[in-house]
Amino acid sequence: MREVSFGQYYPSGSKVHALDARVKLLLTIAFIVMVFLVKSLYAYIAVAAFILLVTLVSRVPVLKVLKSIKAIIFIVIIMSLINLFANAEGKVLWSWWILTISEGGIITAINLALRLIFLVMGTSLLTYTTTPMELTDGMESLMYPLKLIKVPTHDIAIIMSIALRFIPILMEEVDKIMMAQKARGACFDRGGVLKRAKALLPVLIPLFVSAFRRADELALALDARCYNATPNRTKYKQAKLGWGDLVATLVTGVFITLVVAVNNNFWGLY
Amino acid sequence: MQIKVENLKYTYSPKTPFEKVALDDISFTINDGDTIGIIGSTGSGKSTLCQHFNALIRISHGKIYVGEWELHAKKLNLGALRQAVGMLFQYPEYQLFADTVKEDVAFGPINFGKSKEDADILARYALELVGLDYDEIKDKSPFELSGGQKRRTAIAGIIASRPEVLVLDEPTAGLDPQGKKEILDLVTELKKSYVKTVIMISHNMDEIAEYCNRVIVLNDSKLLYDTTPRELFSDKEKLSLTGLEVPHAVRVKNLLEARGIVLQGTPLTSKEFVELFKGGAPCAK
Ligand SMILES: Nc1ncnc2c1ncn2[C@@H]1O[C@H](COP(=O)(O)OP(=O)(O)OP(=O)(O)O)[C@@H](O)[C@H]1O
Ligand SMILES: [Mg+2]
Repeated sequence: MREVSFGQYYPSGSKVHALDARVKLLLTIAFIVMVFLVKSLYAYIAVAAFILLVTLVSRVPVLKVLKSIKAIIFIVIIMSLINLFANAEGKVLWSWWILTISEGGIITAINLALRLIFLVMGTSLLTYTTTPMELTDGMESLMYPLKLIKVPTHDIAIIMSIALRFIPILMEEVDKIMMAQKARGACFDRGGVLKRAKALLPVLIPLFVSAFRRADELALALDARCYNATPNRTKYKQAKLGWGDLVATLVTGVFITLVVAVNNNFWGLY
Repeated sequence: MQIKVENLKYTYSPKTPFEKVALDDISFTINDGDTIGIIGSTGSGKSTLCQHFNALIRISHGKIYVGEWELHAKKLNLGALRQAVGMLFQYPEYQLFADTVKEDVAFGPINFGKSKEDADILARYALELVGLDYDEIKDKSPFELSGGQKRRTAIAGIIASRPEVLVLDEPTAGLDPQGKKEILDLVTELKKSYVKTVIMISHNMDEIAEYCNRVIVLNDSKLLYDTTPRELFSDKEKLSLTGLEVPHAVRVKNLLEARGIVLQGTPLTSKEFVELFKGGAPCAK
């Protein structure tokens, strides 16, 4: 089953994996909104606890979730630095030339970094526990209202799922072509940037050729089977809401309430 | 060049849910001059095994010696190794990329350090060897060739580097019978010149029977047999274990046997079958 290995899907058969993709999508959106509202340290601790809880229940290795940060660490650092110097509110702690670090700067920088990190961890939990196909189906279903104003939601969904389906195929293809060119002595990890970019041509050209060939074949195959995005298509996999979805929604709801309460110092913790 | 494989193991995506053991404790030796067939059902690990021979896959467990090279060593001169062990992938026409056929075929030699002029000479030689008209084809785009011509161009791209060992992953897949024969005859021809050893993956037992002097049978990532085609195809018990087909000549012989006409020996090709059927006597005009 190499197809599903794309993206990050990590099958462990947990309760989180079994949730309806639409519920997970909505809860993730709620989570993102919440993360952007958080401003107190205690609330961040609560968010971290929630992520840890979901990770444990989903049986995705904690390390894997942490690793998802790696991809954005640069953005986090750069954005934090910009904020650190741009915000000059509060007591000035250090200043040199045109650079000043103030209390306000530090707080906004930390806020931003934590928000981005939690954002990525939350969304990657979604992709770890949901296959790309489930995600697109879920999105299509959630886009239902748009259908009423004549947005071709089904076409959008099918385009998305074809694109997603093709990513692993093309990655496999890249693998194969790279190997074939390496067998002819190509070297992809030597020389400067320009040389490396040029070394990729023997991979990119066959890749594009094959992508177009596959697209042609797929279009033909769809036509040959009289595919058209008629309304009311049925689905092979019917998504159904279950008790688990209710529990997940409740848990998340309770948790969000908790964070909002902590955030507004409801109990006078600080 | 002798190739020696010792206790080779390979696992794809280890320590993940996608873990897949592709090779499990494989050991065998390929001698100089062998044409060795590697057979086994789909997913048995044939391609994975072959991609080890020129270090496209680095060894994670076990040892491989290719002539002087120790592929399990940390430091390895990949260029020299890959020049000596040429590898043709399944559907090699999908690797063509250059503006002209000539450039594409010269890609290998240039990568292996040949000058432009030498590479052109080698390209010309290789293209002529695979039966293409050099002057007619050299400036064409590889993408405007026919399927068979593309395959030949890709093969020329490998042999232009003058490998000593040729690894072929299903070289005849998707070709018509005539095209298949031409490719295999070309391999036979190459073996008379600088190619010393041929390693060939195939699902076509007729090809294996006719062209290989040895076969390796992989089954479920393990090495099942290391034998000769005649021995393998004459042993019904062995064959039933692997679920492999038999060459047509053997099949006809077995069908005859089922109807009471017993022939002694195992014919591997139609020619051998005819001879056997006639009692070994030469054809009378
Ligand atoms: N890049 C890869 N990542 C993960 N698993 C792989 C990869 N390549 C091959 N495999 C798996 O390893 C096993 C052996 O694959 P391999 O390609 O060596 O088989 P094969 O004998 O060449 O099959 P075929 O006759 O279909 O070409 C298969 O189960 C395959 O799914
Ligand atoms: Mg294969």
